[in-house]
Amino acid sequence: MKTRKTIALLMAPLLGTMSLAACTASGPEETNTSIDQDWSQADPITIDVFSATANYMGIQGGWFGKIVKDKFNMELNIIAPNVAGGGDTLYNTRVAGGDLGDLVIVGKGKQLDELVEGGLVLDASPYYESMTNAAQYDPAVQRLNEGKDGVYGFPSEVSSLNPTEPADPIDPTFGAYLRWDYYGEAGYPEIGTLEDLLPVLKTMQDAHPTGENGKPTYGISLFKDWDGNMMTMGKQPGAHVYGYEEVGFVLAKADGSDYQSALDSDGAYVRGLRFFFEANQMGLVDPESTTQNWDTMFTKYQGGQVLLSWWPWLGQSAYNTDQNTAEGKGFMLVPMADQKISASGGSPYGGGLGLTYSIGSSAEDPARIAAFVDWLYSPEGAATTFAGPEGLTWEIVDGEPVLTEFGRQAHLGGGAEVPAEWGGGDYADGGSALNAANLAFNEVNPNTGLPYNYKAWPSYQATAANPLTEDWSARMGGATTTMDYLKENDQIIVAPGAGFTIPADDAEIEAIRNQVKATIVEHSWKMVFAKDEAEFESLLASLQETAEGLGFEKVLEVDMANAKAQDEARVEVAKEFG
Amino acid sequence: MGLLQRSRVLVRGETRRVSVSAFLLVAPFLVLVLLFSYLPLIGWVTALYDYKPALGLGRSEFVGLQWFEMLVSSRTQLEQIGQVMANTFAMSFLGIATSLLPVVFAIFLNEVRANWFRNMVQTLTTLPNFISWVLVYMIAFSLFSTSGLVNTTLHDWGLITIPVKFLDSDQHVWLTMLAWSLWKGLGWGAILYLAAIAGIDPTLYESARIDGANRFQLMRHITFPELMPTYIVLLLLSIANLLNNGLEQYYVFQNAFNKEHIQVLDLYVYNVGITGNSISLGTALSMLKSVISVALLVTANAIAKRARGTSII
Repeated sequence: MKTRKTIALLMAPLLGTMSLAACTASGPEETNTSIDQDWSQADPITIDVFSATANYMGIQGGWFGKIVKDKFNMELNIIAPNVAGGGDTLYNTRVAGGDLGDLVIVGKGKQLDELVEGGLVLDASPYYESMTNAAQYDPAVQRLNEGKDGVYGFPSEVSSLNPTEPADPIDPTFGAYLRWDYYGEAGYPEIGTLEDLLPVLKTMQDAHPTGENGKPTYGISLFKDWDGNMMTMGKQPGAHVYGYEEVGFVLAKADGSDYQSALDSDGAYVRGLRFFFEANQMGLVDPESTTQNWDTMFTKYQGGQVLLSWWPWLGQSAYNTDQNTAEGKGFMLVPMADQKISASGGSPYGGGLGLTYSIGSSAEDPARIAAFVDWLYSPEGAATTFAGPEGLTWEIVDGEPVLTEFGRQAHLGGGAEVPAEWGGGDYADGGSALNAANLAFNEVNPNTGLPYNYKAWPSYQATAANPLTEDWSARMGGATTTMDYLKENDQIIVAPGAGFTIPADDAEIEAIRNQVKATIVEHSWKMVFAKDEAEFESLLASLQETAEGLGFEKVLEVDMANAKAQDEARVEVAKEFG
Repeated sequence: MGLLQRSRVLVRGETRRVSVSAFLLVAPFLVLVLLFSYLPLIGWVTALYDYKPALGLGRSEFVGLQWFEMLVSSRTQLEQIGQVMANTFAMSFLGIATSLLPVVFAIFLNEVRANWFRNMVQTLTTLPNFISWVLVYMIAFSLFSTSGLVNTTLHDWGLITIPVKFLDSDQHVWLTMLAWSLWKGLGWGAILYLAAIAGIDPTLYESARIDGANRFQLMRHITFPELMPTYIVLLLLSIANLLNNGLEQYYVFQNAFNKEHIQVLDLYVYNVGITGNSISLGTALSMLKSVISVALLVTANAIAKRARGTSII
């Protein structure tokens, strides 16, 4: 669950900032380009890893650090713009200095293009010849490097699953999850549409004014860390619960049936803001929402202080521990009659966050870095990234992967101390700090014949039932998983994983976009906390007018074209593999 | 006569030598001025490009005056700049308007007889000057956030039920910012005046006392006027810094709710250029500062010329 959380965590800040174009450059001639050698005997090195998704800065330690050290005699010095803060400041400073890192994990569109053009990443084609694990996903590698004169990047979250099948067969990325135990106490009220959640939350909050930790409970808690084109939380209720995805300032229905401007007065985004505004009028919104960060909010979920979660990887990760679920407590998907949640399909061309793994042009030992990247695509590397090291968190019993006692405690029991011979420290802290995955979570491990995702293992599912899921399942027509329920009720839209790359904006569009973004985010927060209906409306009008004046329409036109191109790519990939 | 001539020649030769060595003395500072005040102006050229750090200036696209046209072409852009300028001037003028406070503070502090008390007050009021704005914000946050000390106390006393939003509100932003900078700078600002008070000729006080002046009259008619020259010099310096009200304070205090009234020019440039990742546009905006500075200087010069018959340039 922890792994799932950390991976999904990064979805939001990265949404909608990637692109692709053409460039030229040539890599240096290397004498020994084979990655096939025993790196554990090589001279020790430390490489700088610039990871756009990392949430930790410094030397990778713990169990993952030990594995990398043992296999490659290499230490990873993680450079994390998320930790440094200030948006692209760290990236800009480092690229201006001519050295971003030895291993670079950034967005595959605009950023990769300019790194190639600026000569900051090298052509890995000489190494690629011996990268047998990465070569398994050659179509994805070729697609990522299309139009480039060489192999400059390796794709993230590649999947062999059918693009029309959900990449995650258990949980969607979005959805409204309520504290099921309190919802039950309230008598399982019917929820026809989004706004019906409000009275339910009110009842739940009134019945439980304080959480287990004795602090006040709120129906809704917000945070601002990931705000981008829009207020991230604002997108959840109106847009994501109804299958709309963000393409710049456009909200596009995942099945291509509807395209909206984010600023439409009766559109999905404004509906979400209005929902929060009304919730705030009813006293349901945590007043600390305006100042807190993700960590503070996450702690509140852990303490049972928040009643609604928009993501399974927030509420469930924080609160559905073995102990809580055994008592029937936890977050579960609400049966909202008109919801239509979108889920990403398998992405044969790489998907998810749309990242690239590239080798820096000033890397000291590029072959070793290539070997490390190749290992990440291997069954061993992927299994380690997703489920932990074999023998520690899981093992093969009768030919099937099973979580060990330690593994259960680490993944589901709220964490565990790793034994010293495995690297020591807290299990979650010792995980891969790259916080990015080369393969999709549900890719099948050829060694076990089952997905890397331990939740999909029969051995896990056999023990997964608990009072909470049993009650939920009984109410949800016998559904075993969230995805199961959504499919059964035709409440899911699978967006085929086309690995579409949004083209880079031209200079003017980009500048306008950045200014409009800031205005939208600023107004959105004010709207949620507006003192009355009139103020809400006047702020909305002022937002529309300001955005308009800054040139919103021009950007919207570009986004609209991108959204439609994305849809075409999806139709195409569905045809190709479907 | 001969002696006089010889000495004149000597003086002339010496003058040349003196002026050469004087120039050498001043040269390092001229170099510094060149390095730090003129050389950075080359950076303005960024405003003519679509600057991408990964490519460097050489390979970034040259766009001419596109950014300037963008800034003046739309009413909304101009309105935003207008609001930013209003904030900048408002906060600077509030700062200047309250610049007399350190004088008053110094005068009163000087009247305190108990040495230990005077020293303690002086230390305690000077200390905040050495705290960075980030820490000041942390103090502000722990006191005034919705779950901070003030709100918790008010709540415990039953005075409020819903926390008061001190930090994330658009109410009186200019005044609260002024209050914070006064809290931080008052004691520090008073140091110079305390030194100046120590330098006032004691005979002035003695004669005034002989004439029967009481303590308040001494403060009003001796100390205060004696401090005025120092005050005027500092005032002129602060007017020269009108646009430079810094950005740290406003940067740490800004949020979606107060942004409209807290964005001063420096912060706006930072938000557009660095946070918004539009470095070229930010550069174009920052040039505005120099334009306005020059305009202010010319105006001040014209006033000085009319009022005193002398000119700076």
